[in-house]
Amino acid sequence: VLATVTLPEPRPAGAGRRRRAGPAGLLLFLPALIVVTLFFLVPLVLLLVRSFMTSGDYGQVSWTPTLASYAAVLKSAVYRRTALTSLEFGAATAVLCMLITYPVAYYIVFRMRRFQSLAMLLISVSLFSGYIVKIYSWRAMLGTQGLFNGTLLDLGLIHKPLPFLLFSKTAVFVTLTNLSLPFTLLIITGAMQNLSPALLENARDLGASTFRVFTRVIVPVTSRSAVYAFFYIYVIVAGDYVTPQLVGGTTAALIGVPISNQFVQLGNQPQGAAICFCMLVVFGLSYLVIRRFERFRGI
Amino acid sequence: MTSLRRRAAALLLPAFVLLVFAFLLAPIVFVVLSSFNAHNSMKLPLHGLSLRWYRQVLGDSSVRDAFVNSGKVALATAAIVAVVGTGAALSLSSRRTSRRLKPLAGLVVAPAAMPGIFVGSALIVLFTQFQVTLSLATVIVGHVVYALPYFYVVASARVSQFDTALEETAQDLGANAWARLRRVVLPIITPTLLAAAVIVGALSWDEFQITYFTIGQDSTLPMLIWSKARLTIDPSINALASLTMLTSLVAIGATYRVIERSLR
Repeated sequence: VLATVTLPEPRPAGAGRRRRAGPAGLLLFLPALIVVTLFFLVPLVLLLVRSFMTSGDYGQVSWTPTLASYAAVLKSAVYRRTALTSLEFGAATAVLCMLITYPVAYYIVFRMRRFQSLAMLLISVSLFSGYIVKIYSWRAMLGTQGLFNGTLLDLGLIHKPLPFLLFSKTAVFVTLTNLSLPFTLLIITGAMQNLSPALLENARDLGASTFRVFTRVIVPVTSRSAVYAFFYIYVIVAGDYVTPQLVGGTTAALIGVPISNQFVQLGNQPQGAAICFCMLVVFGLSYLVIRRFERFRGI
Repeated sequence: MTSLRRRAAALLLPAFVLLVFAFLLAPIVFVVLSSFNAHNSMKLPLHGLSLRWYRQVLGDSSVRDAFVNSGKVALATAAIVAVVGTGAALSLSSRRTSRRLKPLAGLVVAPAAMPGIFVGSALIVLFTQFQVTLSLATVIVGHVVYALPYFYVVASARVSQFDTALEETAQDLGANAWARLRRVVLPIITPTLLAAAVIVGALSWDEFQITYFTIGQDSTLPMLIWSKARLTIDPSINALASLTMLTSLVAIGATYRVIERSLR
């Protein structure tokens, strides 16, 4: 009944002035627009253009348009395998991070009282302790004379260093998970903190067990943040070129390594650019798939 | 029996959480502990405490140069991002902003949705195209693009919570746009902006992925750790890594202390 009654829209106070805030607002936005255009959009367009240019033998490029770089990427079994490995690492790390993050975030937000702020502080410490510092530390811990091998040798538990610790896929996976966890933990605890406690109480009053509250209320309500966190980890892991080089050796070549080599060492920019755009297309398609989980309604 | 089992189950989750935090903090604790190791190894327990690695690192002129370079880049990045990002947040996130402008926010945060390698590749193409010599200035450009989204997200969250009534009152009292910004809006949101600027400084201080593409002859601390770690097993890297890490953590911690006190 109420819906049929139409009231005249009240004119919001200051509506007239609001319109005048426009041009001044745009002026404040101008510096950001310049920065993003000059140093992000234009470079990306140049990168796209470069991927269609012809590469010479000595790193020079000429304006003859060609699809040779894309053909080289799509034909090469090595690139295909490397790209696939990167996506696998990205997806596996993102899945593992979410599996670890949900119970931990649940515990921090709903079960911890005294130590909640300490837990958040420690997550931030981990986040801000430095990307390269953490990768280096895993390299030092896992190396043949590192923490684990050295200590195990001293204890007489092993007689030779375990070779699989460093320069293995496991080492890369462990390190990437360690780098990614603080991000997912911060995003998901943040999403859970926004959840109204009344919602959970209602679910409990209606007889839902802790497990059902978790799977039917908490997970669906935070699914939007979960999708962002998942995609973020998937992308940054698949694009990582430092971890495989420092802790992976030759075992886990991720696609970032050939890209960075093309730009920094070999100097075949069109080739590197073509790999970049192939990966961007894959990332875009992945996002369309992952986004479907945004309206996840629980198990 | 069942109560025992239930109690064991109740301990399962806290034990898991503890384990995850141990995993999270392991690399940090390891680096800091090893940096004080008197022995020339990476093993624990430590064979005596010593400051020899710190002495070695601090006596190294390449470390001091990298330290100064990282500091310059972090300060410049924080200053530029603070100005640019505050403007963007004020213009896009205020409740007075017209809805048609809101999609522009996606443009500002887009670089954060991309791995550093794409931003680095795109910038190196830009710099070769226009024959820009790589230097600390090109490093700063990369860091500004990389850190702006993070500043923008924090600043715009604060601006969107801003009580517009205050601004409208100032307007009714005859304050023009510039006066309202300078005398009303900025003083209230400055603590948040300061915190966000320090975070930007810390992000820049630790940044490697883009820097690797955009740096020329100079070095920053992450670049130095990378080049040393790749070539040698040298315990002095532990001291270098600890110094790098502690500098940004202390800077963040100190800022939060100051802001907390100013808000009290």
